[in-house]
Amino acid sequence: MRLRAETGVDGKMEIKKAAVIGAGVMGSGIAAHIANAGVPVVLLDIVPEGANDRSKLAKDAIARMLKTDPAPFMHKRTAKLVTPGNLEDDIGLLADADWILEAVVENPQVKQALYEKLEQIRKPGSVVSSNTSTIPLAKLVEGLPERFRQDFIITHFFNPPRYLRLLEIVAGPESRAEAVDAVHRFSDTGLGKGVVRCKDTPGFIANRIGTMWIQIAVNEALDGGLTVEEADAIASRPMGVPKTGIFGLLDLVGIDLIPHVSKSLRDNVPEDDAFRPVYRISDRVKTMIADGYTGRKGKGGFYRLNKEGGKRVKEAIDLATGAYRPVQTPQLASLQAAKAGLRTLVEHPDKGGHYAWKILAHTLSYSAALVPGIADDIHAVDEAMRLGYAWKWGPFELIDKLGPAWFAERLAADGLPVPELLKQVGDGTFYRVEGGRLQCFGSDGAYHDIVRPEGVLLLEDVKRASERVAGNAAASLWDIGDGVACLEFHTKMNAIDPDVLAMIGQAVATVQKGDRFRALVLYNEGSNFSVGANIGLALFAANIAMWPAIENMVQAGQQTYKMLKYASFPVVGAPSGMALGGGCEVLMHCAAVQAHAETYTGLVEVGVGVVPSWGGCKELLTRWAQMEKGPKGPMPPVAKAFETISMAKVAKSAAEAREMGFLREGDGITMNRDRLLADAKAKALAMVEGYAPPEPVELTLPGSSGKTAMNLAVDGFARQGLATPHDVVVAGALAEVLSGDDTDITATVTEDRILELERAAFMRLARTPATLARIEYMLDTGKPLRN
Amino acid sequence: MATYEAPLRDMAFVLHELLDMEQLAKLPGYEEATRDLIDAVLEEGAKFCENELFPLNRSGDEEGCTYENGVVRTPKGFKEAYAAFTEGGWHALSFDTAYGGQGLPKALNVVLEEMICAANLSFGTYPGLSGGAYNALELHGSEELKSRYLPKLAEGTWSGTMCLTEPQCGTDLGLIRSKAEPGEDGSYKITGTKIFITAGEHDLAENILHLVLARLPDAPEGIKGISLFLVPKFLPKENGSAGPRNGVQCSGIEHKMGIAASSTCVMNFDEATGWLVGEPHRGMRAMFTMMNTARLGVGVQGLGLSDVAYQGACAYARERLQGRALTGAKNAQAAADPIIVHPDVRRMLLTMRANTEAARALAYWIGMQVDVSLKHPDAEVRAEAEDLLALMTPIIKARFTDMGFESANLGVQVYGGHGYIREHGMEQYVRDARITQIYEGTNGIQALDLVGRKLPAHTGRMLRRFFHPLADFLEEEKSDPAMAEFTKPLAKAFGRLQEGTTWIAQNGLRDPEEAGAAAVDYLRLFALVAMGWMWARMAKLALARQDGDEAAFYKAKLATGRFFMTRILPESAARLEAIKAGKAPLMELAEAAF
Repeated sequence: MRLRAETGVDGKMEIKKAAVIGAGVMGSGIAAHIANAGVPVVLLDIVPEGANDRSKLAKDAIARMLKTDPAPFMHKRTAKLVTPGNLEDDIGLLADADWILEAVVENPQVKQALYEKLEQIRKPGSVVSSNTSTIPLAKLVEGLPERFRQDFIITHFFNPPRYLRLLEIVAGPESRAEAVDAVHRFSDTGLGKGVVRCKDTPGFIANRIGTMWIQIAVNEALDGGLTVEEADAIASRPMGVPKTGIFGLLDLVGIDLIPHVSKSLRDNVPEDDAFRPVYRISDRVKTMIADGYTGRKGKGGFYRLNKEGGKRVKEAIDLATGAYRPVQTPQLASLQAAKAGLRTLVEHPDKGGHYAWKILAHTLSYSAALVPGIADDIHAVDEAMRLGYAWKWGPFELIDKLGPAWFAERLAADGLPVPELLKQVGDGTFYRVEGGRLQCFGSDGAYHDIVRPEGVLLLEDVKRASERVAGNAAASLWDIGDGVACLEFHTKMNAIDPDVLAMIGQAVATVQKGDRFRALVLYNEGSNFSVGANIGLALFAANIAMWPAIENMVQAGQQTYKMLKYASFPVVGAPSGMALGGGCEVLMHCAAVQAHAETYTGLVEVGVGVVPSWGGCKELLTRWAQMEKGPKGPMPPVAKAFETISMAKVAKSAAEAREMGFLREGDGITMNRDRLLADAKAKALAMVEGYAPPEPVELTLPGSSGKTAMNLAVDGFARQGLATPHDVVVAGALAEVLSGDDTDITATVTEDRILELERAAFMRLARTPATLARIEYMLDTGKPLRN
Repeated sequence: MATYEAPLRDMAFVLHELLDMEQLAKLPGYEEATRDLIDAVLEEGAKFCENELFPLNRSGDEEGCTYENGVVRTPKGFKEAYAAFTEGGWHALSFDTAYGGQGLPKALNVVLEEMICAANLSFGTYPGLSGGAYNALELHGSEELKSRYLPKLAEGTWSGTMCLTEPQCGTDLGLIRSKAEPGEDGSYKITGTKIFITAGEHDLAENILHLVLARLPDAPEGIKGISLFLVPKFLPKENGSAGPRNGVQCSGIEHKMGIAASSTCVMNFDEATGWLVGEPHRGMRAMFTMMNTARLGVGVQGLGLSDVAYQGACAYARERLQGRALTGAKNAQAAADPIIVHPDVRRMLLTMRANTEAARALAYWIGMQVDVSLKHPDAEVRAEAEDLLALMTPIIKARFTDMGFESANLGVQVYGGHGYIREHGMEQYVRDARITQIYEGTNGIQALDLVGRKLPAHTGRMLRRFFHPLADFLEEEKSDPAMAEFTKPLAKAFGRLQEGTTWIAQNGLRDPEEAGAAAVDYLRLFALVAMGWMWARMAKLALARQDGDEAAFYKAKLATGRFFMTRILPESAARLEAIKAGKAPLMELAEAAF
């Protein structure tokens, strides 16, 4: 047993073991995510009355999480890092924990009783934090010993903890700086959170503003006579809010939560707080909760899926009568107007424009009035809303969109108070770029540079401060310093088209010159690294029978990726989000990959009726053939690749990608999205010295016997109804490529030969109506067609 | 003198040799449409058009329609001709037998329409509009409306109209103001003014059924708030016959450039009783489903006019003696040679003929797609036919009506001064043809429909129905040296069409004005390739048959096809250049500088 908190190489405290008390949805989700960071974690809860297994709550939580989708664990194996237990028998497990996180019921007495128990066992220097969202820190530490007060902070996670990036940290006046820093650092680099330091005020930042936003949006929809669809259409995309809008969001989080959250905020905010006068629990909401209409988890919510009569009809509630009716597409002129900008929307005379104005007027002026009360700077507020509520723009960015002076004037015209900060900024804006640096307006009346934490390198900053080295409409090459170039894709969904391929070629040529760059990183700050080849272009070309043009595009991709693979300098792929199809293939041709933990990779081409043809088949075969462990012989790599590609398997994390062969052992994983570029750059620089491109590979493939084996397997699936007729055709084409077609085990097959087979299979499939139907369906609906 | 003889031989060539129209007899309901029956119907139809309708064409134009106190009288002879026409069941050739129609393929009706429009376009508008009303009701009306009104339309005793246009709205139907107030018995009270209503009032039928676009009280603004109503001139009595007069009146007719014998009416609806056709606010959808047939019909008007202008010009060019051939006298015993000896007169005649014959093949082929899209047992085949039909409809409507006008103009030119005076009837074709480029969606709108709706739909799926079979055809014929003089220029033009299509896909999606600027040239390019393909297909048949019994017919086909390939198809290069010039040359000039 270690008796002192661990310190790292630089003498700073490190979190090497953690514990979470409370195995509810939040507690267990946090425990899972700590395990995702590779840190062992104890998960304890009470002993339920009459239970045979005294640790039932924690064990059940882990079992449940292994079935949850989206998964709390990044890899099923990770669950082994979570040790379940109960608070009566296993409290001793906390003795060597560096960080003990409390996520029990929101009751100060219960929490404090637990804290007293913790004080008996936890080691010196360990940190205790609460995941409370409603109880002030001051109240939680009241009457507790000094050692506890110094080691205690609030860490407020958002649900689900793996996926929502915001972590609000509140330190008390007595909290030890090292303790706060240790948790901050671990949460940032280990858990990948966007940490926002908050003050000890009700609801902290995100929920304080978010609750106001929800309250106003519900009130005004009811008062303004909007349908739920109209409200959700206005209070979503036009404002940069996720498409669930307001009522869709409430259905998602649970309608029964609203009264608790709003009441708790109302009870805790100051007497003159702007939330008090708007606080209201409407009769509609009360009735819905009473009747069990609590949202998706209940009988339905503001929306429901009516499955009566065998049909699935999406319905919405009539806010006035409470009756359900089929959803209607909103027909507001203001929605059209919104395309011209936020200001056009709020100035529109119809009820949608009025609604938008009311929401923004209250929410944004509330936000402005709260700085510096709830956070030191506006940037923290914007960050919290972006990361915690997935808003595209934070409140101050929204004010900048409206124009702060115009906004202040309109508030005044409406008889609403104009916050001090808004008066202060005057004719200026809250953000500005000065000398290539992003600055924000401080409550001291001056502009301050936004300083990124150490180890954070953002392309958006590079782009502000420099001109691109080269580029076209689809991709740009940037200088990220120290002789490293960064190629950014910026097409829609970062789909790869001939322009992107051309820029990859140009990037390789530019770095190859050796006069300015030593390494290349493929990285972008879109939500997805790349969703693959632009299949719309391919489909259009196929529809107008431009076969040579399609074959050229396939060949251009193969040649470009090959150039990447055999470049004389290291190329590091740095994906985050989806890296599918051609987006996965480009990574497989990089010398190394530094992946964000939330990277979703897969060769999903069969979903659109083709096979990977930009070297994806070739690279996956090579990966499995070169893997140290694993059975020998020509067939196992082929079988592995066939299984992965023919079922369009997608790795739902970087950890899974490694297991599936999309990432190699030496490839790195970065937990924090913001640290990805810096990590990738470091990886590239580390490879520069003595870098040599890989040796060309020659594979031994099974030929016709392998092809037959794969076809037999697919026929079996087809007989069981698991494969559709066109699945069989596509899998047949894939089998031809992976088997090496006409080769046999006495010969070897070159990479170029496999590329040739990929191309031939692609061209053959592209001419089938069933493949064209698959591509068309995917483009029209975003879903695969099972034909 | 203008003359018309239905081109039965060429029609048979297209229907039977090229398209194997008898295939349609395999579709459920069309079992009777055998080759023998088709030929018999067309022969009878030809007689009727040549002998009854054509003689009324010029007199109808001279006399025009007359309006007096809400009553419109058609020119002399029209009433009798209409009675004979409906007596023969010609108007109901492709109406469902369940309602008293003949139940023959829509494609056959397309052929008949070509003859009617060639013989007498004005006359053709009356049954044409009834056909439109029939289709709208059959596709969207309730069972009750259908059983009450469709038999009357099939009888021909009642006729129909389509009332869309209002003084403030033509192309943009979203601006419609006519109102429909719900009544208590499920009917509606329709109030509003409609203009340019073809066959809105006349003396040919006992009753007139108006299909009217109007707004319900709770209708959303714009195009999504329009509903379709059936408003009879006389309300039907219990026994189904025409009863009391409804609140709809014709308040005047237009004095027009052409189709003088077709009544073009201002219609006033004053709380007229009507019934909803289809769903509330979905009137435009109902319109769209019948638009393909209606627009195809207008395209066929262009085809008919083009043919009749050719026939008139051809006859005159043989008779008219004037000057000598450039290489010396060809008709030494007379004072002069017929003007047909001149290359330029031949250019005019061949331009008319080469376009007309290709258009005929294209029109009948696409006409068959209407039947396939309605009747084929396989849903996928129906959907493919619908795609092809939707794609080709704007091309046929716009290009064929332009062609009709161009041919009519060339017809006048061949006649010289004698074409310009009324006596020979050639100038009437120019005036009559002019409207076809305008109504049922102007040709500019057709081009926008092509580039804005049809081209991008489902990432080019509609295009596939044309491009793939054409690409396959070229692939198959590549190895036949005898076909090279047809397939080589066609392949070149097809390449241009592919390039132009890609250009619009790339630039037009980014900037709709680029698509708008390219639209008309693109439609023209598309039409050139489509007609070029028809020529290549026809040439393939003619090559195989040119030494047989009808050598003269097939050799003429080949000669005309060669003319198309060498003298018309090269225009595709110019059209592509124009497309690629982009919008800049059109948008540069400031509005004020015009």
